[in-house]
Amino acid sequence: MPDFLDRARALPRLGLGISTEYGARRQDGALDPAALRAAHPTYAGFLEVGVELAKGLDDDAQAWAARGWPTTYHFLDVNLDEPEDFDPAWLAGMRATIDVLDPAWLCGDAGLWHFGARDRGQMLLLPPILVREAVAPMAAGIAALREATGREVLPENPPGAAFVGDLHLLEYFAAVAEAADTGLLIDCAHLAIYQRCRGLDPLAAFDALPWERVIELHVAGGSEAEVDGLGWVDDDHGPEVLADTWAITEAAIERAKNLRAVVVECERNPIPAVVPLFAATRERLPADFTAATS
Amino acid sequence: MTTAIPRQLDPQRVQRALVCMHFDPAFAAAIRGDGRLDLPEPLTAAERDLLRAVDPRALKTDAMRRARAVQALLEEYPVSAALLGMPVVDAFFSSLRFREAVFTRGSMALAFASYLEDHSALVGGVATIEAAAAAVRRAALRPLPAADVADPRAHLQCNPRFAPRIVPGGTLAWYERALIQNGADPLRTLAELRRPWRKRPPRGGQQFLLIEGKVGGSLALGGASEGLVRLLLAASRPRPRAELVVVAHELGAEGDEADELLDELAGEDLLLRVSAPPPAA
Ligand SMILES: [Fe+2]
Repeated sequence: MPDFLDRARALPRLGLGISTEYGARRQDGALDPAALRAAHPTYAGFLEVGVELAKGLDDDAQAWAARGWPTTYHFLDVNLDEPEDFDPAWLAGMRATIDVLDPAWLCGDAGLWHFGARDRGQMLLLPPILVREAVAPMAAGIAALREATGREVLPENPPGAAFVGDLHLLEYFAAVAEAADTGLLIDCAHLAIYQRCRGLDPLAAFDALPWERVIELHVAGGSEAEVDGLGWVDDDHGPEVLADTWAITEAAIERAKNLRAVVVECERNPIPAVVPLFAATRERLPADFTAATS
Repeated sequence: MTTAIPRQLDPQRVQRALVCMHFDPAFAAAIRGDGRLDLPEPLTAAERDLLRAVDPRALKTDAMRRARAVQALLEEYPVSAALLGMPVVDAFFSSLRFREAVFTRGSMALAFASYLEDHSALVGGVATIEAAAAAVRRAALRPLPAADVADPRAHLQCNPRFAPRIVPGGTLAWYERALIQNGADPLRTLAELRRPWRKRPPRGGQQFLLIEGKVGGSLALGGASEGLVRLLLAASRPRPRAELVVVAHELGAEGDEADELLDELAGEDLLLRVSAPPPAA
């Protein structure tokens, strides 16, 4: 197999896009992806579909896919570092969903999506343990999923409040990307959360990451909260983006020469509330950063 | 004296202990202390040190984490929970049973069934029914085991989507009344429960039940004959057909009836042809 940077040439440029997950729109006033695409085509170049296979695809995702519009598949239910998680039934479900969506690639937080087995009441999301020993199992899972599906698998840095281990998050993802020979998805809001949690500058350890492997970025709002005097950031995907997140987004756009896609994650907000967020993201991207028309 | 074998740092073990810390502040405090930890697998000193560094406040950012998990249990164990009372249900997350589920890729709901066995004096046959329902509900989500058609060594096994159970006499009716008493919104009723129910499910006698989990999530719960329940219980692990013929005879089948009965049960998918387990080493 050619190495990732060669394979990346074949990945389409999707431009600016939006995310959804099952039932997101049941919340009153939540964003209708097709309506955003109709009103602002360049803000909704593609749909990143969050998939927990136990729930399946909702009507919005199915309708989008049925029109042949571009998608990416964001998994919400696999612990990549646990080989037992790739059971035949789950893999069959994933392949069937890939057949429906025909996503440009797969992506998702490389963390703990469930404790114990994949079962009701056991879903969560915790970041990986940031130690050298955790690199190989994560890389093996990424390579296995890529092999099993024939699609690129881009691990994303997860959010969190309790990070464990002595590696910087970017050092960990750099090592995973090398070991799995894969591309990366950097969530700028999650990275801002991490840096703040560790008391670091928003751009700390930026040079540790092989930015040429970064194919996709996420931008999202967050809100500052406090528990017993500990400040933390809630990754609430609201309309307010932290200044740290913007600083990271700008620095990332500057470095990520193979960037193909940027998602503004704001699925549970009405369109008028988030149009300024899309505009602010659009402004920070090169003028020609739009979906390639073929 | 035993010499400790130095163990490599295992990030999965650290992650699993961290999950337990998220659900149980007392366990998180114990990690930070020096005492022995009640865990299915011991942590190395280096692993424990990594976890000691976690700010306990950072474990509290999702205030509803434990409440959501409790809710998932209440949905499947509404009557057992009413009999136990909420403090005992909640204490499950500080129990070794919960930690075992976390450390062995287990099911929280099935681990709760084991926790109920530790409290059987309170919950009796009700827990047997709710635990069986939890088991067959999960079995209905998985493909059925099946032996190769041509496999001459194939065994017979009770279909995992059916749970044969023996409970004290009158338990089913008692259980159905209790469900009604929990009302149309059992989660709310349970949340407002100030103390556990004082009444107890029946204790004496025997009742034979068959609980079926259907594809799509529904359940069928009903009485069955003693012979059928005992035969299916004998087949809860794969058995050669000849052994089950003997069991059927012991249960009162005469002559060819035993073979006919097994064929009939296989025809109704209560018994499945499955591969023989590998011979014990
Ligand atoms: Fe994200």
